[in-house]
Amino acid sequence: MQELKDKVTQALKEQTLDGLLCLKSSGGYILPCIVTSDNIADLDSMVIGDERYPIATILSAIVAKQPGKTIGVVVRGCEEKAIIELIKSNQVDANRIVQYGVACSKERAQLCSCEVPYPSEILAGTKVEGVSDNQLLSKIEAMPSKDRLSFWMDQLGKCIKCYGCRNICPVCFCEDCAMEHDDLVPTGLVPPSIPSFHLIKAIHMAGKCIDCGFCEQVCPMNIPIRTIYRKMGLVMKEVFDYEPGLSIDERSPLGELEKGLEAVAEK
Amino acid sequence: MTINYKTVPSVCPYCGCGCGVYFEVMDGEVVGTMPRMSHPVNEGSLCIKGWNIHEFITSKKRLTDPLIRKDGSLKAVEWDEAIQHTASELKRIKEQYGPSSIGVLCSAKCTNEENYLLMKFTRAVLGTNSIDHCARL
Amino acid sequence: MQRLRNIQPKLSWDTVIYEDMAEIEKTSSVNGFEPKIIGFLCNWCSYAGADLAGGSRKSYPTNVLPIRVMCSGRVSSHHVIKAFQMGADGVLVTGCHLGECHYMKGNYMAAKRVPVIQELLGFIGIEPERLRLEWVAASEGERFASVVTEFSEKIRAMGPSPFRKSE
Repeated sequence: MQELKDKVTQALKEQTLDGLLCLKSSGGYILPCIVTSDNIADLDSMVIGDERYPIATILSAIVAKQPGKTIGVVVRGCEEKAIIELIKSNQVDANRIVQYGVACSKERAQLCSCEVPYPSEILAGTKVEGVSDNQLLSKIEAMPSKDRLSFWMDQLGKCIKCYGCRNICPVCFCEDCAMEHDDLVPTGLVPPSIPSFHLIKAIHMAGKCIDCGFCEQVCPMNIPIRTIYRKMGLVMKEVFDYEPGLSIDERSPLGELEKGLEAVAEK
Repeated sequence: MTINYKTVPSVCPYCGCGCGVYFEVMDGEVVGTMPRMSHPVNEGSLCIKGWNIHEFITSKKRLTDPLIRKDGSLKAVEWDEAIQHTASELKRIKEQYGPSSIGVLCSAKCTNEENYLLMKFTRAVLGTNSIDHCARL
Repeated sequence: MQRLRNIQPKLSWDTVIYEDMAEIEKTSSVNGFEPKIIGFLCNWCSYAGADLAGGSRKSYPTNVLPIRVMCSGRVSSHHVIKAFQMGADGVLVTGCHLGECHYMKGNYMAAKRVPVIQELLGFIGIEPERLRLEWVAASEGERFASVVTEFSEKIRAMGPSPFRKSE
């Protein structure tokens, strides 16, 4: 942590950095903040944090609202992936950010069922083994079609249409959201049409979801929505050998015309 | 110009639950809301009203003054006049139509103490037991 | 910070497609289960093929509600999902053969999209066979008729969709 703090202090002094987006501990709260050269003392209360906040979303908004500034950001493994996806979709200018990687603790990896709880470069925290939890997915795959449908209708039927899954998702950025379009999702109808409400987001997540788990964490009704998005990730891997969040140069075949043609060419 | 961004812990004003939120404040303006992940009430979840607090707290449609309907349209008045008008009208209606003609709705946005006061007012002062909650609307 | 989102966004041209699809909610069934299938036909090949089938007096079942789109790639996952939510028993997407698309590679987008939607439907518990992608050229009137016949029979055997509104 000290190495990270020294690097940032140096960069802020030299003005190669205009601010650092990180989590700090203050008055018993862990909250996101921006440390600038005006409040550099805040660096002392910086934490990796056992609570996760949508840093990638905040970063894209700050970078957009602060033209010409360079923003540093403390990133976990999932946040690094999210930022890669956002850069691919032109939501974040890669030249205006500086990433400082931190590894998550074992407890955090457990809570998030995270398979890769560390970014590509680690400046603070110790790298721990990922956790893989595909129990529910395997259980559903083993069910016959009818049971699957009644399971999902039960689970998705709990939805209160809070849009939490969409709001917190780091890769969901559309201004004209299909989940709010009247033809697809009638305004004022609660609960929403099941299952089309969730299937709309699920199909968008194919090739974009980085499996950060925020959606399920934030759902007030504990709907296992992440499992559906995980399935989409597996489908993309199987059919197109594509995994989002790994490299800026790899593009989703569903988003680019020229990609993925070999996978569907006439056999 | 330096970046002026901070997150402020607060509580959702809408219903009686009191979910913990963080407001995102940029250049003195509330621009976003996110749930507090470790708050004991919501543990990171919010309802649709909670997710959009930043929109309604700065809405131009919010009431800023008491309003009385005069000559068919609502006009802004001082608090003294509003309270006086309310008291005299309630008194008139109670005398003219009886206490059972008045109904009262309390709200989850009020504190427990305010709701208790309203209940006492309804029963002891107005003399009716027709008091319920705004969720009934 | 939440992204700026427009209230009541207008994805305008889709409204026309959804209005066409709404026909499926109107048809009533007589004497037991009649499959209701929404068919998205690409304007240049499949719709012409369907025209040819009709012109050559080929006989085929009337279970498919045809919706003309300019290209099979125009068919969005939203349309398919909405079709099933509306109560369609099957969705048929037809386009030009690969390599013959009027817009060069539009049908490749459909070819990529449909398997992914099928996997999603299968995972949720809706039989993936209810969604089918076929290539029908403008000269293949007979093929169009046989595709529709075979698909209608398949859907008839599968039974009504669980989302069918009771009549």
